[in-house]
Amino acid sequence: MEDEMIEIRNDFLAETQEMLELLDQRFITLETDPNNTDLLNEIFRAMHSMKGSAGFLGFTRLVDVTHRAESILNKLRQGDMTVTPGVINVILETIDVVKLLMADIRESGTDQHVETDVMSNKLDLVLSLGNDPVLNKPSAGEPAKADAAASAPTLEPDEVQKPPLPSRLGEILVEKGAVSKEQVIEALDKQETKVPLGEILVKDGTISEQTLDAALQKQQQEKPTAKRADEDQTIRVETKRLDHVMNLVGELVLGRNRMIKIGGELEEKHENDPKVRELSETLAQLNLVTTDLQLAVMKTRMLPIRKALAKFPRMVRDLSQKINKQVRLELHGEETELDKSVADEIGDPLVHLVRNAIDHGIESPADRMAAGKPAEGVVRIAASQEGNSIVIRIEDDGRGMQVEKIKAKALSKGLIGEAELAAMDPREVLNLIFLPGFSTADVVSDISGRGVGMDVVRTNIRKINGTVELASEPGKGSLVTIKLPLTIAIIQALLVEVERAIFAIPLGSVLEAVKITKADIKTINGREVLNLRERVLPLFRMAEEFQMPVDPNLDKFYVVVVGLGERQIGVVVDRLRSQEEVVIKSMWDYLAAIKGIAGATITGEGKVVLILDIGELVQNVRSC
Amino acid sequence: MITQKTGPLGPGDVYNTSPTEDEAGSEAFSQFVTCRVDGEEFAVDILSVQEIIRMVDITRVPKAPPFVEGVINLRGRIIPVLDLRRRLGIPDGERTAQSRIVVVTVRGRVVGLVVDSVSEVLRIPKSAMEPAPSLGSSIGAEFIQGVGRLEDRLLTLLDLKRLLLTADTAVMDAA
Repeated sequence: MEDEMIEIRNDFLAETQEMLELLDQRFITLETDPNNTDLLNEIFRAMHSMKGSAGFLGFTRLVDVTHRAESILNKLRQGDMTVTPGVINVILETIDVVKLLMADIRESGTDQHVETDVMSNKLDLVLSLGNDPVLNKPSAGEPAKADAAASAPTLEPDEVQKPPLPSRLGEILVEKGAVSKEQVIEALDKQETKVPLGEILVKDGTISEQTLDAALQKQQQEKPTAKRADEDQTIRVETKRLDHVMNLVGELVLGRNRMIKIGGELEEKHENDPKVRELSETLAQLNLVTTDLQLAVMKTRMLPIRKALAKFPRMVRDLSQKINKQVRLELHGEETELDKSVADEIGDPLVHLVRNAIDHGIESPADRMAAGKPAEGVVRIAASQEGNSIVIRIEDDGRGMQVEKIKAKALSKGLIGEAELAAMDPREVLNLIFLPGFSTADVVSDISGRGVGMDVVRTNIRKINGTVELASEPGKGSLVTIKLPLTIAIIQALLVEVERAIFAIPLGSVLEAVKITKADIKTINGREVLNLRERVLPLFRMAEEFQMPVDPNLDKFYVVVVGLGERQIGVVVDRLRSQEEVVIKSMWDYLAAIKGIAGATITGEGKVVLILDIGELVQNVRSC
Repeated sequence: MITQKTGPLGPGDVYNTSPTEDEAGSEAFSQFVTCRVDGEEFAVDILSVQEIIRMVDITRVPKAPPFVEGVINLRGRIIPVLDLRRRLGIPDGERTAQSRIVVVTVRGRVVGLVVDSVSEVLRIPKSAMEPAPSLGSSIGAEFIQGVGRLEDRLLTLLDLKRLLLTADTAVMDAA
């Protein structure tokens, strides 16, 4: 029963989280398109279902706030109120409070630690006033003290969640019943200079000085707590220090792996020794703590992808105006977190891809109308975490890509042979655009480069152990999928054996491993291939590539199917060893230039194992 | 004039190479670690030597130049190991229990050198060192800094910088 509730709560949290992000964006859209009833309905439904789930789970404060917001939305959608920036501001503020409530629920399981009275009152005020001037005068010199105090400490606005703003003086006074809303509005109208609202009210004789003092005091009380909470939550740390900690943890992970291996061997030998058993228990404990530590350190380096995406709305707007296209940018999953080093590297490839989508993908409004599409094209960037990877999808609803056109271009540029091209499926052909020297634009434009683009995109993504793949449907649009590791320092790898040497293949690029015999290997045009479920898989003999002695009597092999987007190949190895977590260490700089090897690592046994660079290997297979 | 430590050097040996009172100040010395490769005695400037370790498992690196033996795990660091025989153009020999890896630091890089054996630490007076003879040097002439003459012994002083510098360009060419 308990577990069930927790599960339901977690589902609720996840759903609401998604909804909140959506709402944030929807509201901003609503501001530019206030008469969009569909949008309003959508927002209303989201708020409504949030309230419903919150009620079911007994989160009373959440219900309180969402109920009021829902009421306002209902009025908006029935036309009883109109959408103004003031109203939107209040609702966005509500969403911030809901976020705080969600954080509280996540942490403590209840929503009772976040003060919501202020927000509720504010919402009530909006409800009862309708479209009133108070709301439309967001910063018209209202209680100057309050505003100044609220904005004075410069916190990191994008990294720290905003606490509920302290109530405005007028609201406090109305709440206390000292003045009516009308009187506040009247006073605000008079308030042209920087005279505090309170003084006007006292001068007019609307309230006494004592009432004003009491109200100001209440306002003061609300501020400091909110401020302190923020200060306690963040601390700035140099990236270099985090890197150092990360490296040390990497070493620790390797040490742990070794210890576990040695412990296991000891246990086999001295099964009944109580000391050995004690050691195993201690090792198990160490194992858990190290894993947690690794995760915790990784999290300190995680940033929401929002930062890398922040520049896009503006970029898309400017770009589409420049080339007279109508493009709407949609961002999803901006809260998805990734390692700082990954976040730093991903910016440029994304810019390139989005530019490409707008320049080559989205058609001109006239062409779109002719094709029966809305004049406005959509470019969508969606980020999400899928298992141990971060997936970023860049999608457009433009003209898509013509496989035949790509084929012709690849041939004419001599990037690929005719026979090889014939053996490729459309997906593989599409991904030829990532080859160096390929560009699909018939006319070179200053927006998406001169054919240096896509291969640079792929190179950059590979640098952080990521993969990139293109899918496209003519007339419907294109989709670029980027898959990135959560962290770049530690990766999962498959250890394989070739002629008694061990190599590590990053698990991210491994699709499957199959056992074959010599007879399964066929040759086409002098090249070894394997028929795998009606697919012809080119084979790659590691022993040959690396000039290692080959045992001709060996009859059984394993084929590790690896893929990097455009291409899959089978790597022939003698044996599969194990799956291990490895820390990538750079090779001696002299050896770093060797093609096909990405680096080295130290295994649990203390051995140095080379990590294969699948990207380079796959490329080599084509070029030879 | 020569202080000798008797017996072969091995891992964990502590060298006492500070000058004794008689010698101090009397003449300028340089200290070298001497090692044997194919019966010849080579000397490496002690200031470049980080440590001497026994042979460990060396992971071969495909496509690396032939004299790069591979890489090893030196307490969590991955360092390359060069085979001094191949580097100097001497035919391959057997690895024995005396084989050692001399770990040196050159221009900030840590590299291991495989030698047949390590003999001792020598103090050679500067006056006993001569530039490499221009004629008659059979092997790896470009890596020889000079020779040290000690009574009946002739030591070849290795120029580590060139040993690795050329390795650098050679690898670049190979890649």
